[in-house]
Amino acid sequence: MVNYLVVLFAVTLVYFASAERLINYIRLIGLQGLLLCGIAIFELKEVNTANLIFIASESLIFKAILIPYLLTRIINRSGVTKVHRLAMPGFYTLIFSIVALLISITLAYSLTNSFVNIIYMAIALYTLFTGLLLIATHKLIISHLTGFLIIENAVFLFSLSIGNKMPMMINVGILLDLFVGVLILGFFGLRLRPHTNELTRLKD
Amino acid sequence: MTLILFFIFSAVMCIAIVLFKDKTITRIITIGYASMHILFTIYCWANLDKTELSYFTYNSLGVLLLSVLSFMIIPTLYHGFIYASADNSKRYSIYHAALIALMSSMSGAYLANGMTVLWIFVEATTIAVAALIYHDRTEIALEATWKYVFICSTGIALAYLGILFLGFIYGRKDASNLSFTALADIINQANPLYVKIAFVFVLIGFSTKMGLFPMHTVTIDAHSVAPPPISALISTTLMNVGFLAIFRVYTLFASSSILPFMNNVLILSGVLSLLIAAGYMLKAKHLKRMLAYSSLENMGLVAIAIGVGGGGYYAALLLIVLHSLAKSSLFYQMGQLSRVLHTFKLDECGRYMKLYPAGALVLLTGMVCILAIPPSGLFISEFMIIKGLVFNNKWFILLVAIILLCFVIYAMSTRILHIVFSDPLIDDNGRLPDRINPVESISQFVLLGIVIAMCFYQPPFLADMINQSFALLPKWLL
Repeated sequence: MVNYLVVLFAVTLVYFASAERLINYIRLIGLQGLLLCGIAIFELKEVNTANLIFIASESLIFKAILIPYLLTRIINRSGVTKVHRLAMPGFYTLIFSIVALLISITLAYSLTNSFVNIIYMAIALYTLFTGLLLIATHKLIISHLTGFLIIENAVFLFSLSIGNKMPMMINVGILLDLFVGVLILGFFGLRLRPHTNELTRLKD
Repeated sequence: MTLILFFIFSAVMCIAIVLFKDKTITRIITIGYASMHILFTIYCWANLDKTELSYFTYNSLGVLLLSVLSFMIIPTLYHGFIYASADNSKRYSIYHAALIALMSSMSGAYLANGMTVLWIFVEATTIAVAALIYHDRTEIALEATWKYVFICSTGIALAYLGILFLGFIYGRKDASNLSFTALADIINQANPLYVKIAFVFVLIGFSTKMGLFPMHTVTIDAHSVAPPPISALISTTLMNVGFLAIFRVYTLFASSSILPFMNNVLILSGVLSLLIAAGYMLKAKHLKRMLAYSSLENMGLVAIAIGVGGGGYYAALLLIVLHSLAKSSLFYQMGQLSRVLHTFKLDECGRYMKLYPAGALVLLTGMVCILAIPPSGLFISEFMIIKGLVFNNKWFILLVAIILLCFVIYAMSTRILHIVFSDPLIDDNGRLPDRINPVESISQFVLLGIVIAMCFYQPPFLADMINQSFALLPKWLL
């Protein structure tokens, strides 16, 4: 069951590369949160119940519900709907994404370890590369935020893979959500414009 | 127990400052915090190598960097009081609460004895410093803050991936906090590929804090808008946090087969940092950005020094300590310069010797110190690095480094001399220069005086502390 969820998670990443609307990004982020919640429940069998409830509820409430809700509000307020106006065309992003998948699988096979499931390793690496790719190929800061959320999910997936042995690694990794909170605060509390692609006043 | 009291009191002081929102009370509490920090540092010196709360150890490297922070607290607060004096009570209290949070987080990071705890404190420094960068509440401050938090978040996430790879190496329940001692025992049995990946992730991640290539951009933009006393901390003690994280992992892996790989990566990162610093300093038009690139240059030299090994370790740590003192004094001076000239733009700066001679003297002395020109103590460090490169037959790296350092010296000296002695190229500021009491510059002269004194005499306690800081490295490396 866990492997199915992990593979489904990888499918969302392929869809990220070809998506052209911000609302699809947000739906995918929400879906990833849901999948991570499921993976945590099925994977963390050796973790004590209280900790498991904390991890699962955190990923469900924060990653699957709260973040997508806040991102939707940001987009509704700004009226920006499409991402590729200012980014690399979807076709090329898709090719890069597939190359990243192949690299991840190759790397995962060369990193065979008795503590880590190879599927986890491959998909987590692919998630990391997708996040970095999204940041590198997009200009809208809201897309950058999405890229960071994907990297954060990669960290979560990595930490789940050793969660049974070292549950503290998951709990500590969850602290990354603090940054998400601060970045989203940039849009709400500090009125950063999500449609801007011109954070370029600071330069030499 | 002492450590937990330190953190509890720090938290209480932060909360009290925010709740009272009164300038006088804020000042009293902040001075109280400074006294507490200094006493705590003395306690750490008296209890070297003692472990507290399982997650913290007062080891030599941590205590050395903690002492640098303690040493800088009083001038930072003093210049901060002056800088923020025109602010309303709310902004004044947020500034000082965030400053205490930043200093406490840095202290925790210095003393952490495990990767995860160190990482948590590094994350806390990012949040605290973000509040300080946004202090002026301008659009440009918002841009710098968002960029800082975003790039730091990405870097810290990558650093955490490096830590997770260390977890993959360990994979057992009995070292859930990934302490350095637990990892040191098993590192030689690990798959070298895991260790290499972990090192690269940690280096990239924590280079956001150290201000080293490839994530150096984050601190450069932050310097442009951060209040000068905060720039002094970002450019020195906060960079030291990044250095400490990278050096701890380096020390951990030094006995493994990946040592040559780590050395090469560090030298490459150092040379690229020098290259970028030299290139941008030659076209710098903003005074604080130029100083930020100078920090990049110095961190590049630190990376090269570690990559060289042998005497390079001593040189790196001495450079870290002296750079902190020299660069902070220059940034404190930037606060005074902006009050006199009302700008940081190089084209609009000039006649500083006439307008504020004490400040001009700080700029000139600071320039000599930071460029490692004798009698600067940094000269000793750079000389040792050059010696290390010669002994290791790294002639090409030596040649490149010397050429780039020449560019740095040219770029910085021409600009500072222009500010001090020439007329401004553009003189449409329209504002009269403020008058500053030279007494305000005393702390800067003291810091620079120490840097110069270190060229002639390094006290035995400091030399011992530096030597003990890299004592955990394999003996055959030293």
